[in-house]
Amino acid sequence: MIDTSVRITEGLSLKNPVLSASGTFAYGEEFSEVFDLSILGGIVTKGLSLVPKEGNPTPRVYETACGLINAIGLENVGVDAFIAEKLPFLKKFNTPVIVNFFGTTDEEYESMAGRLDIEGVSAIEMNVSCPNVSKGGLEFGKYPDILERLVSKVRKATKKSLIVKLSPMVTDIGAMALAAQEGGADALTCSNTIPAMAIDEQTWRPILGNITGGLSGPAIKPVALKIVWEVSRKVRIPIIASGGACTWQDIVQFLLAGASAVEVGSASLRDPFCFSSIIQGVETYLEEKGLSSLHDLVGQLKTS
Amino acid sequence: MKDCTATVMSNNEVARDTYLMVLQCDLPIAVPGQFVMVKIKSSLDPFLRRPLAILHYEDGRLELLYKVKGKGTTEMAGKKKGDELSVLGPLGKGFSVPAEGEDVMYVAGGTGVPPLMALAEHLKKGRMIVGARSKADIPLWERMNKIRGVDVQAATEDGSLGRKGLVTDVVEDELSGTKPRVIYACGPNPMLKKISQQARKAGARCEVSLEEYMGCGFGVCSACAVKTVAGNQRVCMQGPVFDAALIGWDS
Repeated sequence: MIDTSVRITEGLSLKNPVLSASGTFAYGEEFSEVFDLSILGGIVTKGLSLVPKEGNPTPRVYETACGLINAIGLENVGVDAFIAEKLPFLKKFNTPVIVNFFGTTDEEYESMAGRLDIEGVSAIEMNVSCPNVSKGGLEFGKYPDILERLVSKVRKATKKSLIVKLSPMVTDIGAMALAAQEGGADALTCSNTIPAMAIDEQTWRPILGNITGGLSGPAIKPVALKIVWEVSRKVRIPIIASGGACTWQDIVQFLLAGASAVEVGSASLRDPFCFSSIIQGVETYLEEKGLSSLHDLVGQLKTS
Repeated sequence: MKDCTATVMSNNEVARDTYLMVLQCDLPIAVPGQFVMVKIKSSLDPFLRRPLAILHYEDGRLELLYKVKGKGTTEMAGKKKGDELSVLGPLGKGFSVPAEGEDVMYVAGGTGVPPLMALAEHLKKGRMIVGARSKADIPLWERMNKIRGVDVQAATEDGSLGRKGLVTDVVEDELSGTKPRVIYACGPNPMLKKISQQARKAGARCEVSLEEYMGCGFGVCSACAVKTVAGNQRVCMQGPVFDAALIGWDS
């Protein structure tokens, strides 16, 4: 019997290492028409803010080589509507619900973490790639001291497993990871989209309504792999990989680099049915390699 | 919605840079105005699928009419008989069905022909007005004129076919005569905005099929948002066909 399960934290165990990703899965309703969400290792829902957000003007996506740039603008229903209207539906599935959220002040993050400390939520994932309005727009996720203080405040506001989703755009990602760990994070998601833009050479105008956006998809997978590997050598808490995974081979590579689980995002926009074949592929791989558990893979990269 | 492998039966240029691709595939039944997301090849570039309106689907035979605009559609135009691609659909909400005896008008500008031709071929009644820059840009003109019960007119900017001018000029003339109960339209947003105003003045209902950049096509990424009186709606889910009166044309 192949054991594909993995324990991320005391409160968060996954039946397999494949998760949806925030922003590409909405709140699960549409995908539930496509496949049984219970097959997933976990569901990561669209990023929530304290009050609903309308998002950016269109165009909001633009395809690039092996990926896409998005500037949706974190459109979401807000935390209260999520709890009232979306969570009851998600609770029906036999898989953990990990709720992604973001704020513009420390107080907003704390308030949301408190509200999400309820039955049906297995863990919360903090997006820290947002401007801090009380600090003149500096991103929470770019300065270790600011991040550590924010995480420690959120830590006190919730008993749920606390996952911090790091920004890739920092000088020293290891320092950011350590800051989140010191603040009390139970796990880290490595990492987020990479800031990017597209220009129309005929009109001399930016293509996206927001001018800039975030690059995702297989184009950024090598970057994410390196971030996971680097962070895994710095921290003792588990890592969830996020960045361009499309196939079971990608999952295995992220596990070898040090991730305990992997989020699949952009690939599911292109192939909504991809999850079951990816999960099956990982299982078959373990079987063929004669490995009894996922733990035989995590962080087993050979560098010498 | 279903993801199925489709085999190319034919793929021919039927107007300037515009191709008619006929595919063999096993999709669920579609209604006029719905669309599919086409994955042109299995490699990771181009990465996203292309949203394309269904021109016709019956008995496993799917017709797609598309204009070559970028990398994806250029690759699509190179497909030959026997090639395979992946088709996800049918997606979105189609046109409403008019009541028995209700007079209808279809207005197609530029690449807006496929969903309206699908509807005209289905309803077999009404007036159809097609607009383009030039005669060479109008696809399937002969087939359009053969639709039983449908009267077709053209407007071209250079006057090479039908009336010289914009499609909305012909609409204006038509509305001074017998007024239709419903106007269905697809084309560039300024055209749709104008038709929406013309319809309101004429007391006709108006349904528009909108185009927007899409990520997924099935409602999860929120890329194709459109502002409506009921807040943001997703073109791929609540549309692509909307009641024109609900659209915030100026936002």
